[in-house]
Amino acid sequence: MYNEKEIKDQIKKIFFDVFQNINENNFVWEKQQKDYENWDSFTQLNLITLSEAKFNISLTLDEAIEIKSASELLECIKSHII
Amino acid sequence: MNIIDNLENNSKEFPNKIAIVFEEQKISYKELHDQVKKISLKINELDKGVISLISENSILFIITYLGIIRSGRIAHLVPPEISEINFNNQIKSADSQTIICSESTFHNIVKFAEINIPILKISELKEQLKNKENYLKENQIAHLIFTSGTTATPKGVGITHSMLNFTTKNIIGILGYLNSDIDILPLPLYHSFGLGCVYTSLTVGSTIILHKDASNLENLLNSIKKHNATTFAAIPATLIKFLKSKNIDLKNYFLNIRLIITNSTSISKETVQNYKQILKNGNIATYYGLTEASRSTFMVFKKNSSRDESVGKSAPGVSIKIDNDEILIKGKNVISQYWKNEIADKNITDSWLRTGDIGFLDNENYLFLKGRKDDIINIGGEKVSPFEIEEVVKEIPEVIDVAAFGIKNEIFGQVIKLHIIKSKELNLDKSKILIHCIKNLEKFKIPNKIDFVEEIPKTSYGKVKRFMLK
Repeated sequence: MYNEKEIKDQIKKIFFDVFQNINENNFVWEKQQKDYENWDSFTQLNLITLSEAKFNISLTLDEAIEIKSASELLECIKSHII
Repeated sequence: MNIIDNLENNSKEFPNKIAIVFEEQKISYKELHDQVKKISLKINELDKGVISLISENSILFIITYLGIIRSGRIAHLVPPEISEINFNNQIKSADSQTIICSESTFHNIVKFAEINIPILKISELKEQLKNKENYLKENQIAHLIFTSGTTATPKGVGITHSMLNFTTKNIIGILGYLNSDIDILPLPLYHSFGLGCVYTSLTVGSTIILHKDASNLENLLNSIKKHNATTFAAIPATLIKFLKSKNIDLKNYFLNIRLIITNSTSISKETVQNYKQILKNGNIATYYGLTEASRSTFMVFKKNSSRDESVGKSAPGVSIKIDNDEILIKGKNVISQYWKNEIADKNITDSWLRTGDIGFLDNENYLFLKGRKDDIINIGGEKVSPFEIEEVVKEIPEVIDVAAFGIKNEIFGQVIKLHIIKSKELNLDKSKILIHCIKNLEKFKIPNKIDFVEEIPKTSYGKVKRFMLK
């Protein structure tokens, strides 16, 4: 099982893997999808797929569509595993 | 000059030279020729029409096959592991009049057969009978192969003697087969790749070291050493297994090998480059072709060549063009029609065969394959070849084998799913695979689903049967 810090660390790592230009210095939990240069529908799919693989969960289509920031992804994942 | 003429000439020129070695058995060119002649006399005794031949690799398989075609009959080649349904479908479609099978397949074949036609054991054909000889005609069909293929419906493909002569001449000319070669052959003989190797060796008068199959890697390597082999024919999967085997000094085993010939299913750039390093005194080569259009291109990967992902240029006398991304082939190696199949015949127009393969020609007319027309995955309008995904995933050391294919998705129409066979000794989790893909592929090519599996359905040629995965 993961504690909240471990979940947060994992999500940050997912963002670093998916967005090559994001790192510890410029990562912002509340930054919205529209404010990212390259968060399109394929990026969304990859964020969800990688999250599902890391946490061994399965998100519904509705959940997947709703996620618009790192913090929303965090809340969604927490609802599945905590 | 056909294979039978060449065999006869070789049997006169060097009667005692060993033509084939199989396990503990050996047969010289003279003995081979004599036995083919005897079997062909017996074949003449049988009911007219197509003869279905079902056997594992053996010297007797080759003798019987050559005996059938020497009699001017059509040999319908059937994989020994065929299912009951496919067997009966093929026998009916081929309109077979006699079945000849090996000892080990006899029991199943008798059980399977719905049609009442004679079923003979290969070993029973050895008795000599006196009869008038028939002889093959060049434009006659030599053998009939049903393409189990990568699509759902098998199609009968009749290969004529003149097509075989044309293709054999190209193989010898381009790959430089010589009378002095010792050829390791672990491929199934009921397929075009394996049988083409037999034609090549018996035409130039080299020696075939026949293996039952390629499952025992150690046995193959020892065979290469023991016989001082100079050529080795293998599907890409066998070559990859060698690379993944630990503690084997491949350079040492392949020291005398002047040629590794493989077919074009999915040989990766990485595999080619590895073998370029391993072969000190030789080259790896591939070809592209279908049963319907065998050996249409050839590619010898020279040490300094930069096109390690290409399947080469069209063979002499063969033309290739691209129409709407699909590869079309025309030449003396191409069938003029399928076996009693008017629907399949629509793939042939003005002698051009539509292959169903997707690819492109570069500015120097080298052909590159991108996948099967039916296999291309369409993700929100972006077209993705499963080959490309598979090649990237195969770079992960813990991955033994992978198949990529499209599955339905509500938003994108299709997304990519992977079936992966992973190493039992090493740990591998799905996120590692995804991160590797993210780093090495465009974002629309990242797989969405991954299953770890024990087996990936493939043809005996090594091509993934994607229609079984979707």
